[in-house]
Amino acid sequence: MNITTRIRKFPFWSWVWFLLGLLYFVMPLLATFEFSLGMERDVIGFKAYQTAFADPEFLETFGYSVFLATMTIIVSIILIVPTAYWIRLRLPEARRTVEFITLLPFVIPAIILVFGLIRVYSSPLNIPFTEVTLIKPLTNFNFGTNVLIVGGYMVLGLPYMYRSVDTGMRTVDVRTLTEAAQSLGASWYVIITRVILPNIRTALLSGALLTFAIVLGEVVLASFLGIPAFGPYLFLLGQHRAYEPAALTFATFLITWAAMGIIQLITGGQGQAAGAH
Amino acid sequence: MTHLALKNISKHFGEFTAVNDFNLEVKKGEFVSFLGPSGCGKTTTLRMIAGFETPTNGKITIEGQDITDKAPSQRNVGMVFQAYALFPNMTVAQNIGFGLRIRKEPEDSIKKRVADMLALIHLEQKGDSYPYQLSGGQQQRVALARALAIRPEVLLLDEPLSALDAKIRVSLRAEIRAIQRELGITAIYVTHDQEEALSISDRIVVMSEGEMDQVGTPFEIYNFPKTVFVANFVGSLNTADAEVLDPENGLVAMDGVQFEAGEGTSYRKKGDKVKIAIRPERFNFASEQKKANVVDCTIANITFLGSVVRIQVIIGKTKFNMDTFNNPFLELPRIGDKDQVSCSREAVLVLND
Amino acid sequence: MTQTTLPASKMPTPRSNLRNWIGVIPFFLFALLFIFLPSVRLFIGSFTNADGQFTFENVIELFTQKYILDSYLLSIRISAVTALGGGIFGFLLAYSVTVGGLPKSLRSALVTFSGVASNFAGVPLAFAFVATLGRTGFVTAVLKDVFGLNIYDAGFNLYSFMGLSLTYMYFQFPLMVLIMAPALDGLKREWREAAENLGANSMQYWLRIALPILLPSILGAMILLFGNAFGAYATAYALTGGRLPIITIQIGAQVRGDVLHNPNLGNAMAMGMVFIMAISLAGYSWLQGKTERWLR
Repeated sequence: MNITTRIRKFPFWSWVWFLLGLLYFVMPLLATFEFSLGMERDVIGFKAYQTAFADPEFLETFGYSVFLATMTIIVSIILIVPTAYWIRLRLPEARRTVEFITLLPFVIPAIILVFGLIRVYSSPLNIPFTEVTLIKPLTNFNFGTNVLIVGGYMVLGLPYMYRSVDTGMRTVDVRTLTEAAQSLGASWYVIITRVILPNIRTALLSGALLTFAIVLGEVVLASFLGIPAFGPYLFLLGQHRAYEPAALTFATFLITWAAMGIIQLITGGQGQAAGAH
Repeated sequence: MTHLALKNISKHFGEFTAVNDFNLEVKKGEFVSFLGPSGCGKTTTLRMIAGFETPTNGKITIEGQDITDKAPSQRNVGMVFQAYALFPNMTVAQNIGFGLRIRKEPEDSIKKRVADMLALIHLEQKGDSYPYQLSGGQQQRVALARALAIRPEVLLLDEPLSALDAKIRVSLRAEIRAIQRELGITAIYVTHDQEEALSISDRIVVMSEGEMDQVGTPFEIYNFPKTVFVANFVGSLNTADAEVLDPENGLVAMDGVQFEAGEGTSYRKKGDKVKIAIRPERFNFASEQKKANVVDCTIANITFLGSVVRIQVIIGKTKFNMDTFNNPFLELPRIGDKDQVSCSREAVLVLND
Repeated sequence: MTQTTLPASKMPTPRSNLRNWIGVIPFFLFALLFIFLPSVRLFIGSFTNADGQFTFENVIELFTQKYILDSYLLSIRISAVTALGGGIFGFLLAYSVTVGGLPKSLRSALVTFSGVASNFAGVPLAFAFVATLGRTGFVTAVLKDVFGLNIYDAGFNLYSFMGLSLTYMYFQFPLMVLIMAPALDGLKREWREAAENLGANSMQYWLRIALPILLPSILGAMILLFGNAFGAYATAYALTGGRLPIITIQIGAQVRGDVLHNPNLGNAMAMGMVFIMAISLAGYSWLQGKTERWLR
């Protein structure tokens, strides 16, 4: 019997880094939570949460953001899924161009995007360097502004949604599935609704959740376009109140955690980074 | 003179026993293969020699020196991995010279050694290439050169050819053996390919489920397998159940057909149930030559394999394969014909289960 | 799309190439309306003067007006600092849960958390840090009451360059972890064993093999971190209220019409930003290419 002199090395430094990281990440959450509990003098309670959630404006703006998020997700899916599908099936040459386009939002941060959108759509659309008007300013109309913001949100979410859908299609090999379905006599409608969509469900869900998180937290587009969304509401709240913003901040964190946790569960893998900065 | 010795080596992972009581003495310059299916413990044993696993029990010595507790970086054994493991950020020359640079050898002697190694593996022109620019076979040769450059006591090879095409495998294994002979270096070679092991080893250790089933030369392992496992794993084999009729004279009966067996009956009793095994190539048609055993059979199937013709016959109720060399002038029987086949006493092996 | 007969296994040969491009029209239209048009408008605007004529003055002003140049430099400084700091510590974190030997459960916890934390930026993040390190923040109080250390007296200020950098780290660390964890996974175990087998110790393995192999990924990731911080707006605004004149805040002021005699200057500033971001992205792509080639 010999003694094993190579004792399993204890990963000392790994624990050091990890615990330091843990400390750094947990502190702000702890501080926010602790602060949010202190609304009533000398009492630890959830008063701040009650007040915050009961505020009619909260419900309005939060609901509106949810509505915008839903719209963004739906239109994104309607736009991206057929496009990605088409490219896989019929037009592989366009792949590089489309992928390049989906990378552009990384180069154009939200603040610049909103700047551009406003410049283009809040003044009459002229032919450059002339006085000829093509379209009247979108921002004059309420509906127009909504279109603008959904469009803007779609741009922000584009890289993630497209990549998610594209990966999903690649994993299930839509080309072969389509050919199999065609050989069995299925029409295009049947193929898309009964074969393709169900199989990329996970990818769609993942992309949708990410978009949802982005839209909910988004503040730049919303405030500059004058939209009564949750982001600007939270910011304004922070100017006037102390405890409720803390409560909402903590709640936001929990919601985002839930969304990401779900994504992690269904994709079982890579996380993605997104969101307002 | 024993160069490398493993005494009572065992490795347990919790409840699971990967290697149990492994004992082996290897002479200097000997080429020993560890042969067996996945999970038999051959790679674990190799890794214990390299130092990547620590034995739960037992001792490993090289030239009498106990290395069991030494770190892998202190053992001076060279290892060739299945997945080549060349460092992608270094050229071929830098890869080969890596071990020497770690040992702080002077730069000129390193350059010379690298050049010698490149010549040894016939890749003199590839010194400045990067691994990703080489084919699989070339990468493995570089891996070999890298392991040999440090003048190791023992060369360890962990299924080095598994990731390569069949043709390359055959030529590369011959090259490895040639280099090993030329340098006179002790080598341990792990593989699951019995043809590989048979063709290049001085001795083979056949392993299954953590145990050493048999140690011997390729000739011994093939012709005198000691267990059913070894007989089955190495080469192809016909096996059948039989009963001992006459232990002293080696008579057994299978399906009522009587066979005179070689060894392995002397310590048995009449009525014992045993397994007999006969290699396909030991059969021949009785019309050609009558040996000790002559039995009736029916032709069941004929498969033409090129240099070999495989004829499936039914003896008693059991199917037997008979391999015979292809001969353009041979008159082959037809399916359904009744015929007689013959084999010698020694061809009938009586095996433990 | 109508098809009369359906060939079972062959893709329609591109006999009418033009028809195939119809399917991607909606997407291109979308990109045109919401990406290209705004970008082009800004681009053209950068070269337009107040009277609508072509000019270089705006671009020149980017370099000559001190406050603009300072803004760019400030943004670059903060992005570089958080990219470096975030990169180094993020790498150590990723290392600890992959190669570093911590239990597997910690790895998935860290990766999930990183996905969340990188989304937590903006207004909530700013509020959280105010609650932590503001004048009456949790940690500030703890340090004062328990350790007797008054950080504000010592010169620390959350609403400064230092404070903002510290806040930015909250999404920089996770981004680095998300990028580096898979890269570290790509370090094959055999490389380490081969190195050990040839006599190398841990330090030699890292210096000569692992770090060189990882370097393109690390640099690429840091570039992404740089771009990430460079384009950040909401966090900075929510935290400092626009007091810290990074370039995004300046542009925000432009959009609101807060300043300026020359609205087209804002365009130029925006274009300057896009230019810098584009260079970062190009650098990142190039490094990606290098990584893939080595790790084939």
